[in-house]
Amino acid sequence: CVMGSEQVRVVVEEEGKTKKRMGVAEPRSAPPAVWTPRAPAQEARLAALRTDGRDSRLKIFSGTANRPLAQEIASYLGVDLGKVLIKRFADGEIYVQLQESVRGCDVFLVQPTCSPVNENLMELFVMIDACRRASARSITVVIPYFGYARADRKAQGREAITAKLSANLLTEAGSDRVIVCDIHSTQALGYFDIPVDHIHGQPVILDYLASKTISKDLVVVSPDVGGVVRARAFAKKLSDAPLAIVDKRRQGHNMSEVMHLIGDVKGKVAIMVDDMIDTAGTITSAAALLKQEGAEAVYACSTHAVFSPPAIERLSGGIFEEVIVTNSILLPEHKCFPQLTVLSMANLVAETIWHVHRDGSVSSIFQ
Amino acid sequence: MAFFVKISAPCSLAGHGTTSSSSGSSRSKRGLLLPVGAGAGAGAYGGRQYSDVVPVPALSQAQASSSGGRLRIFSGTANPRLAQEVACYLGMELGRVKIKRFADGELYVQLQESVRGCDVFLVQPTCPPANENLMELLIMIDACRRASAKTITAVVPYFGYARADRKMRGGRESIAAKLVANLITEAGAHRVLACDLHSGQSIGYFDIPVDHVYGQPVILDYLASKTICPDEVVVVSPDVGGVARARTFAKKLSDAPLAIVDKRRQGHNQSEVVHLIGDVRGKVAVMVDDMIDTAGTVSQGAELLHREGARAVYACSTHAVLSPPAVDRLSSGLFQEVIVTNTVPVLHHRTFPQLTVLSVANLLGETIWRVHDDCSVSSIFQ
Repeated sequence: CVMGSEQVRVVVEEEGKTKKRMGVAEPRSAPPAVWTPRAPAQEARLAALRTDGRDSRLKIFSGTANRPLAQEIASYLGVDLGKVLIKRFADGEIYVQLQESVRGCDVFLVQPTCSPVNENLMELFVMIDACRRASARSITVVIPYFGYARADRKAQGREAITAKLSANLLTEAGSDRVIVCDIHSTQALGYFDIPVDHIHGQPVILDYLASKTISKDLVVVSPDVGGVVRARAFAKKLSDAPLAIVDKRRQGHNMSEVMHLIGDVKGKVAIMVDDMIDTAGTITSAAALLKQEGAEAVYACSTHAVFSPPAIERLSGGIFEEVIVTNSILLPEHKCFPQLTVLSMANLVAETIWHVHRDGSVSSIFQ
Repeated sequence: MAFFVKISAPCSLAGHGTTSSSSGSSRSKRGLLLPVGAGAGAGAYGGRQYSDVVPVPALSQAQASSSGGRLRIFSGTANPRLAQEVACYLGMELGRVKIKRFADGELYVQLQESVRGCDVFLVQPTCPPANENLMELLIMIDACRRASAKTITAVVPYFGYARADRKMRGGRESIAAKLVANLITEAGAHRVLACDLHSGQSIGYFDIPVDHVYGQPVILDYLASKTICPDEVVVVSPDVGGVARARTFAKKLSDAPLAIVDKRRQGHNQSEVVHLIGDVRGKVAVMVDDMIDTAGTVSQGAELLHREGARAVYACSTHAVLSPPAVDRLSSGLFQEVIVTNTVPVLHHRTFPQLTVLSVANLLGETIWRVHDDCSVSSIFQ
């Protein structure tokens, strides 16, 4: 059920000639490409890789949370994933050793901090610390899914703000920059004291929806009031579709309750948009409401497929025509179901990494 | 050693879990004195008599306060029983805290009583599951900081990642002990109280004060209560790295002789014994280490000691990590007794007949009291 989405965007960029520094040895030529480039941008980049000594200093390593995504990213960029030994001692402590030199390199560490969140987070910290002590020139952590992002404020007194804590810990461990995808609230970007590139899975999903032929009138629905801004941006790009909002009141953490619908979906195809699907309570209750209000079909679109229990039972219950997610979180086989479509955001992340590495604009990817 | 005279000999039923030492004298709860600012008072109530500034009922109410002053102790979920014992020693209740886990594994912490202006002590060993317990501690620290605690002391009876204290192969590795020290500081801790860190140098990783306490006196008190003739005892270090610890132990055990197992480690969590330095023939060998993890080191050491003619072998260790296959090795009959403390909670399925678990609660309680009262901690160990 995984569908790769072509997300290549050619950026017209006049690159000046790279002046070789005195005494810098000519890097060994890259091995011949073993796969066919899929877009002109890749061809240009591969050519640059072969001739530009500085680009041989691009290293991508993967933690254990989502190796397939990291592999796709590396393939898009025409480099091999860096070799790294990650293992656990008998008492559960994590051990990391880089098995190739990163001295003077721009290192990108790909690791979503999805469940098991504390294990993956600690593994990322240890990887960052290893890269720092191995004299990496810059360390960029690529976090397709940022765990604890929803812990972004004190809901009651005497609580932590764990999103801010996570940001502090990433900086303290030694990262120089962060690439995150669809963080739950954009305010959380301000928690970092290092540069953050915030990218969105929306273009990947929009491209996929555009490739389908949905003849009915569309209406974009936000499953809660907090996500209206996101849904509105989505609707604008989906042929300026109308918007509807499910107004719900949350009774407790991970509990949902639907109140009523703002807007009209009768006789229309409803596209629900959210940044993540966790236990799927919100989106399932909202979908039930949409059906009651006369929607012809309901699609669920979300970047992050957290899918905590009992999400699978709810999503595969027949209320959704299709559930469209990306691979920011690796989905095991037992979490797939017939209505599920998983899109890949590897190209998008890889393009961002390339721009970061070359000090180009990241925002232009989304224009 | 004056402090430990107060601890009665632990009477442990072998294999039945934690031994509770008798409690020392309970700390009296001191009343809270309201500060009286004469200048501010005059400004606020210009012209009024001084005696009217502080009404008597408020003062009485403050003196009767059940909070017992500004000391607060909270426990994470790693070892709540130890924290409860510590609080009992100090004559107070554990602070109420809600710790739960969301469906996706994220942790949530909320303090359920005020800690504003308080000296907060968070009791949480970072034993397995190490990363869960560590993250929980960090989130508790952050919650206390945002709740306006005056000082936050992390009480870490067992410090996970302590053995990751150097780059072993000189290559591209992390120094995770230093990383964890940085994380605890970054989360907002003002001070750390740690027990038997694997290497003394790790204390230098912290940029905040560290009080390093030892489980050794608790174990020594217990051994002294047994009837082992001092002439028959040899203290054995199971590896060359722990000789300093064993030597200190031997000095305090009636200046007993010392022996060393010289082993060469082939890989992580793998052990290999080469030979014994010293003599144990006909004697009772007391092996001393800071922790028992997979028990490979201490088991192979015990086998060697038996081959060299030891009459009986005791294993003493502060931290009972007991990762698989430790219990199988320890209960196989090599040991007369395995003496550990409760820095790491020993789960029921990991107990075995030879196991004795001593409590470090009184030791930690005394240390916490001295930290809170700005008294000397070192004098506990003299």
